[in-house]
Amino acid sequence: MAASAPAYTRARSTVASLRLAVLQFMADPQWLIPSMIAPVIFGLVSFELFRGYGPYFLIYAILGAGMMSMWGQTLYGSGWATGQDRNFGTLEPTIQSPTPYLYVVLGRVLWNVVSGLFGGLIVYAVVVGAAGQPPALANPLASIALFVFVMLTLAAIGVVFAAFYVYTRYAGFIQNIGEFAFYVGTGCMFPVVLLPFAVTPIALVFPPTWALDALRYVAIPGYTGFGWGLWGDVAGAVASTAVYLAIAGLIFRRVERQVLAKGNLSDY
Amino acid sequence: MSDGPAIETRGVTRVFESRKGFLFREKTRTEALKGVDLVVERGAIFGLLGPNGAGKTTFTKILSTLLLPTSGTALVLGHSVTKETAWLRPRMGLVLGGERGLYNRVSGRENLRYFADLYGVPIAERERRIGEVLERVGLTDAADRRTEEYSRGMKQKLHIARGILHRPEILFLDEPTIGLDPKSARETRKLIRSLVSDGVTIFLTTHYMFEAEELCPRIAILSRGRIVARDTLDGLRTLVGGDRTFEVEAYGFEDREIESLRHLPGVSKVASEEYGPATRLTMRVRTRETTLDDVRGLLPGHPELAVRERRTSLEDVYLDLVEEEAT
Ligand SMILES: Nc1ncnc2c1ncn2[C@@H]1O[C@H](COP(=O)(O)OP(=O)(O)OP(=O)(O)O)[C@@H](O)[C@H]1O
Ligand SMILES: [Mg+2]
Repeated sequence: MAASAPAYTRARSTVASLRLAVLQFMADPQWLIPSMIAPVIFGLVSFELFRGYGPYFLIYAILGAGMMSMWGQTLYGSGWATGQDRNFGTLEPTIQSPTPYLYVVLGRVLWNVVSGLFGGLIVYAVVVGAAGQPPALANPLASIALFVFVMLTLAAIGVVFAAFYVYTRYAGFIQNIGEFAFYVGTGCMFPVVLLPFAVTPIALVFPPTWALDALRYVAIPGYTGFGWGLWGDVAGAVASTAVYLAIAGLIFRRVERQVLAKGNLSDY
Repeated sequence: MSDGPAIETRGVTRVFESRKGFLFREKTRTEALKGVDLVVERGAIFGLLGPNGAGKTTFTKILSTLLLPTSGTALVLGHSVTKETAWLRPRMGLVLGGERGLYNRVSGRENLRYFADLYGVPIAERERRIGEVLERVGLTDAADRRTEEYSRGMKQKLHIARGILHRPEILFLDEPTIGLDPKSARETRKLIRSLVSDGVTIFLTTHYMFEAEELCPRIAILSRGRIVARDTLDGLRTLVGGDRTFEVEAYGFEDREIESLRHLPGVSKVASEEYGPATRLTMRVRTRETTLDDVRGLLPGHPELAVRERRTSLEDVYLDLVEEEAT
């Protein structure tokens, strides 16, 4: 027998998890179709909702629907995969391995970021199709970069949610309740600055609120947003994302202990 | 490698509390383990037997760091299963029987790749090792098929392959041959034995008595959350009253006759059960001095009498001990 035990590495585990997520998707790519329907509907609804709202309504429509569909793809996907691990009975061997579950979740979240971006692309195509013209983005390249950035801040929330899914079988229920609050709160349905003032500080709890505001700066000419500027928004997004990831790390460590105590790693 | 036992537990208990319902919650409390003390030496196969619900899986999960004990301490390879999981996990393998526990939409090989990565199997060795374990469990030809197409036994073999992929020092096997056809089960037992000669300690639970008899030099019997016996097979035979078993069959016996059999020298137990139209007496005999002829001599009025002797089997031992516990 080997004298020293093999050692896992975080990056390798995360890549393995990402790879498995891709393989599972490729095994049944037809699942893409149901997940394409939601962005189409969001895109059409959003187009109607924002129609006539100023000259940049197209951008608002795209961002709003994009966020809604990405929330579904990214957050839902991350937690759901953990629920599925429990159903498949794969949560036990995964937890039993030396790799902390957090790094497995990170890999899946990365995959969900990719599929979320795909949803965003569909929204874009639908809204542009409905309008018959593309939006006039102030800075198209920066807009795309910040779009990806928004996804990453969303992913941070996804990681926290995944921890809930490890902890309890009822996480899906909790997440559904949180969903609407998130739509309104982060300003993906309406820009937060239009909401009653009291809502703003709550929305700032979510990293994507900051990232989305930053995105509006580069997409909409003359946008003023929260008033602390593009880089203020970016800094806020980075800082709040870091806080989320740190919280996720802490939760994961505790949650793992708690599920070992509860003994609910497997559904019977 | 350090010495000391492979497994050492003291007073391990485990209580499950589950709630049903949403508004009107109903609490149920199950005491799955009620104070398990067990020592298992290194480098051999140790068998844990016990009826359904005895707590075997619960105990296996505690030892393999998947469940915390409610109280008590458990050391594996000299390290605490609750406090030193980071040290222990790469050194242990776990095979929980059944059809679950695999990613069904990808191939067997991909399942192994994934877990090889999580266990940190050296990347340069990964493919070779996967090939090796697939060969060892006999899944080479099916390696690239999706596991959802696998039969139950093939899934079971893949579980075993995953369990040994990272070359653990100790391997926990919870009913490893469940659902395997006789040939595959035999090959699996051969594989298990070959692992021991590689120096792996194996902790195995099973419901198949011959399997434990064949594989395990030492056996413990768990019943209702307690270890009721732990010994070699010979030791267990002595414990239940002798390594000779007589079976005596006729159309009914009188109580007086049964009582006289009990008084033969070395007879520790006479149990009676209906066996079709006949009655069968099973006698546990401790010494050589009593013979089948002595038995015949005490039962003259039975022309149909059939008497035979066999060695006390593990199944006899098991049934004796489990019944004793139940009464
Ligand atoms: N997660 C759980 N939640 C609640 N009760 C549980 C849980 N796991 C096991 N139990 C209970 O603990 C007891 C022991 O179960 P366990 O699975 O350890 O038995 P076992 O000896 O492995 O049985 P079998 O031979 O049927 O596999 C049973 O009463 C079972 O219902
Ligand atoms: Mg069991």
